[in-house]
Amino acid sequence: MSEFLDECRREWRRLGVPQPVANEMAADLAADLDEAEAEGGSAEDVLGNSAFDPRRFASAWAIARGVTGPPASNRPSLWRPPMAIVLTAVLGALTIVAGLALLGGRRSSSIAIATRRIIAGPGSNRFFAPGGGRIVGPGPFGLPFTGTQIAGVDVHPLAWILLLVGVVGIGLLVVLYWSPWSGFRRRRHESRRTPSWN
Amino acid sequence: MSNQEGRRSQLLRGVLDLCLLAVMGDGPAYGYEMTKRLRTRGLSTVGEGSIYPILGRLERDGLVETRRAASNGGPPRKYYSLSSEGERALEGGVTEWQATRDAVDGALGLVNVKAEVAP
Repeated sequence: MSEFLDECRREWRRLGVPQPVANEMAADLAADLDEAEAEGGSAEDVLGNSAFDPRRFASAWAIARGVTGPPASNRPSLWRPPMAIVLTAVLGALTIVAGLALLGGRRSSSIAIATRRIIAGPGSNRFFAPGGGRIVGPGPFGLPFTGTQIAGVDVHPLAWILLLVGVVGIGLLVVLYWSPWSGFRRRRHESRRTPSWN
Repeated sequence: MSNQEGRRSQLLRGVLDLCLLAVMGDGPAYGYEMTKRLRTRGLSTVGEGSIYPILGRLERDGLVETRRAASNGGPPRKYYSLSSEGERALEGGVTEWQATRDAVDGALGLVNVKAEVAP
């Protein structure tokens, strides 16, 4: 019986029931259970089938009395499934890289794509060095610009595509997992809803 | 739980608050005492839940008054008694129950008549 009461106390704590109220409820219940036991009865005689589900019983009682704190599901929670967090991080990184590539591409419009080293001189003079796939070109303020490119693909369309994928992907993830009307949040809310009888 | 017990539990569910108000009419009582009074009146089960959430709701709705008092040799108990609003709710509930019971009796009686004439 003490195990039943401990479970009830844990549930009341989780629901934010004030400690004095929880103590009072626990004392009343303990007295009734003790009396039933003294008369040769069981917890089921006092609680019906609730004797087998202390958390459900405790939450139903607290809700019926109107002594619960703010429901846990209303508290803002940043926790989301790991996959959603990883996907958002990847898409975020993709978006940033694409954005930087576009910004860099504008400043150095003469960047070419190569699978070998490019050594850029002043103006449009460029030299291709073997191996590496690394580009060296004229950057802002005449400083050398370096960057890694994919062979045979122009940077602008690719960056735009990546940026688009990143932004759309992040938008979808936000709607799915972080927005107030997301199914994920609703499911969590429903799973945390506590039952009540009558 | 058998089908019969399940049905009984479902039927009782809708009127258990009324039954609690009724047994409080015998005088103030604490939780388990009310369970025993119900048992004395033939209600040996309190159904799927228990009386505590219902008592909590009755208290919240102002249909019962509570006071803490010493019990016979035991710890202080929370005694529930009918408030004036609870008395009115009990009267209204009993009338409603009787009307519902009569309607159900009528429907079930009709079924019995049909069963009798059937080959």
